[in-house]
Amino acid sequence: MNPLKIALIGQPNCGKSTLFNQIAGYRSLTANFPGATVTYIKGKTYIDNDLVEVIDLPGTYSLSWYDDAEKEAVKALFSMDIDVIINIVDASTLIRSVEMTLELMCLGKPMVMALNMMDEAEKKGIIIDIQKLSDMLGIKVVPMIAKKGKGVKELLQTLKDASPPTKECVYSKEIEDEIEDLEQCIDKNIKDKNWPVKMIAIKSIEGFKPITEMVESTPCKDDLLKARECLDNGDKIEKERHALCMDIFEDSAKLEKTQIKDTEEKIDSILMHPVLGYLVMFALFLGVFYVVFQGGTPVENIFINIFDKIDNFLASAIPNKLAFSVTKGAVDGIGAAIGIALPYLVPFLFIISFFEDVGYLPRVAYLMDSVLHKMGVHGTSVISFVVGYGCSVPAIMATRILKSKKEKIITAFLASLVPCSARSTVIMGLVGYFLGYMYVIPIYIFNLIIIVISGMILKKLLPGISPEMVFDIPPYRMPSLKNVILKTWLKVKDFVYIAVPLLVAGSILLAVISYYHLDNSINVVFEPLLSGFLGLPAAVGVVLIFGIFRKELTLLMLYQALGVSSPALINTVMSTQQMLVFTIFVMFYIPCVATIAALKKEVGLKYSVYITIGTFLLAVLLSYFVKIIISTV
Amino acid sequence: MKLIDAEIGRKYKIVSISGGFLSKGRLLRLGVTPNSIIELKRIAPLSGPLMIKVNGSDIVIGRGVAKKVIIEEYV
Repeated sequence: MNPLKIALIGQPNCGKSTLFNQIAGYRSLTANFPGATVTYIKGKTYIDNDLVEVIDLPGTYSLSWYDDAEKEAVKALFSMDIDVIINIVDASTLIRSVEMTLELMCLGKPMVMALNMMDEAEKKGIIIDIQKLSDMLGIKVVPMIAKKGKGVKELLQTLKDASPPTKECVYSKEIEDEIEDLEQCIDKNIKDKNWPVKMIAIKSIEGFKPITEMVESTPCKDDLLKARECLDNGDKIEKERHALCMDIFEDSAKLEKTQIKDTEEKIDSILMHPVLGYLVMFALFLGVFYVVFQGGTPVENIFINIFDKIDNFLASAIPNKLAFSVTKGAVDGIGAAIGIALPYLVPFLFIISFFEDVGYLPRVAYLMDSVLHKMGVHGTSVISFVVGYGCSVPAIMATRILKSKKEKIITAFLASLVPCSARSTVIMGLVGYFLGYMYVIPIYIFNLIIIVISGMILKKLLPGISPEMVFDIPPYRMPSLKNVILKTWLKVKDFVYIAVPLLVAGSILLAVISYYHLDNSINVVFEPLLSGFLGLPAAVGVVLIFGIFRKELTLLMLYQALGVSSPALINTVMSTQQMLVFTIFVMFYIPCVATIAALKKEVGLKYSVYITIGTFLLAVLLSYFVKIIISTV
Repeated sequence: MKLIDAEIGRKYKIVSISGGFLSKGRLLRLGVTPNSIIELKRIAPLSGPLMIKVNGSDIVIGRGVAKKVIIEEYV
C-alpha cells in the first residue's frame, strides 16, 4: 500500500514550515518573511505505525498564483496525487485566510484546517469558536500553536479519517447560472483538465490569465465574454465570496480589545519612522558589521596560525615539490573556507537570520523600497544586499524569492557589487591601514552610489516590468533559537556546497601556476591595461587573476607579488594613488568563481556571463575615473 | 478619491479597485477588498510605499497600486 500523501498548504508566514518541522522532524526553511519556501519539501512520519508522506508547499495566498513560489505550490498541489490537504491558517488573520480555504474546499479532497497561532490571535483579541467554524465550513478544524508543538498530535489523529468537505461555496442564483453555462461548455471542450470544472469557470471569469487564456482558445470564448460582462469581470463573485468570509468570521469569532497590539504599534512608530527608522536601521547594520569584523579578526588569526603549522608540517612530510604545492593548495583552500566562514560568515548570517525571524527585515523592506524601486527592484531585495556584505554566494542565492526575472537579474548584479567580507579585508587592510579610516567610509559610500546608479541604468536597459509591491508586515515574533540556527545553516550551506569546492580547486590551480612560474606571463598579458591604463605596478596582474579564485588572499598575494617582506611595507612600493585605484578595482571587478557559479544557478549562463563582463568593465572604468580624479586634485 | 491621496491616521472605505489582475488579486487576498475599512498608517519618505491597516493586519502597498485603489472617507 502506498503511504498516505499529505500536503501542507497555507498563506505565507502562517507557520507552515514550523508545523512541517514538527510533523516530519525535517528541516524546512521557516522565516518571518513572506515567501521563504520556494520549492516544496517532502518529509515522512508515522501516524499509529502507518507511514505517511508530508509535502510542504510554498506559501500562497490563493490558487491564482502571483509569483513563482505560488505557481510552484499550485502546480505541485495538482500534479501530485494528494490524499489529504492540511490547510494551515494563521488564526490571527482568519478573515483573509478563509478565502483560500473556500477555494481548497472546491477540490473536493479530504481536508483538515490546522488553525495555527492561536496564542497570537488571542493576543490580538480574536476569540474563535472552533466548533462553530468547523460546522460552518464542513471540515474538521484543529486549533494549535505549532511553534510550541501544541495540537500537532491532535492534528495527526484527525488526518487518518479526514473526509472531503460536507459543504461547498454556493453563490447567488445570478452568479451560479452564469458559472453553470460556462461550466457545461468547458466540460465539453476541454478534455485534459487538472482543475475542477467549476473552478476553471470561476477563475476564467475572474480573469486569472493562464486559465482565461486557456478557455479563450476554445469555443467557450463567447460564453466567457458574456459571463465576464454579466459579472463585472468577476467582481461580483469576489464580492460575494468576501462577504461570505466576513459572515463566517463574524459568526465564529469575537473581537476583544487588547494592549499587545499597542506596544507593537509603538515599536513600529520608531522602527518605521520617516527619519528615526533610517537612523535606527543604519545604526543596527553598522553595529552588526562592527561586531562581526572586530570579533572575527582574532578568530581568523587563530585559524591562520593553525593552517600555517599544517603547511610547515606538509613541507617536511612531502619531499616532492609539485606534490607538496598541490597538497598545500588544497589544504590552504580548506583553511580559507574555515577562515572566512567561521569567524565572519556564520555570526553575520546568524544575526541576519535573527532579524528575519523577529520580523525586522520586512520593515527594512518597507523603508528601503523607495530607493530600491528607482533601481528596478523592490524592498524584498534587501536581504540580498545585506547578506552581500558577508558573502556574495548566499546573497545571490537569496534572489530566489524575487518575483520577476528582471528583478532577479538586477538584484544579482548589484549584490555582486556589494563588497563581501573578503573584499572588505582589502579595503580595511590597504586603505584603512595606510591612509586611515577617513578614507574607508567614503569608499563604502562611493560603492553605494555606484550600486544605485547601476541599478537605475539597468532598470532602463533591461526589458520587462517589475510587478508592484504588495506585502504584509508580520507581527514581531520571538524567534526560536533552533529556527535561527537552522536558517543560518541553510545560508551557510550555499557557501559550503558552492564556494568551498571552488576555493579548494582554485587554490590547487594557483599552486600549479606558481610552481611552473606562470606569474610573469600573466603579468605581461595584463600589463597594458593595468600599468599602462590604470598606472598600477605590473606585478598586480597575477594578484588580480588569483583574486578571481580567492578574493580574501588579494592582500597577502599583493605584498608577495610586489616583493616586500610584509603587508606593512606595501606603502614603500605603492603610491597612495595606486592603492586607491587598486582598491576600487578590487571592489568592483569580476566576482569570485564561487559567486559566478551561484549566479549561473540563479540567473542562467547568459546573464552570469553578462554580469561578469559588466563588473569587469565597471571596475576598469571606475578605477580609471578615480585615477584621473586623484591626479587632478 | 484614490488611496494615494489619503491622509495618515484617517480611516477610509474601499470603493473599488481597478488595475491589472495580478496586483489586484494579491490585494484582495490580503483583505483589501471593496467595502472593507482601512486606515492609512504611514507613508515611507521619498515617494515610498504606503502602509495600511486592514482587519488588524498591516499591509505595505506600492504607490503604483495605491493609485488604482478608489476610496471614500469613513465616518
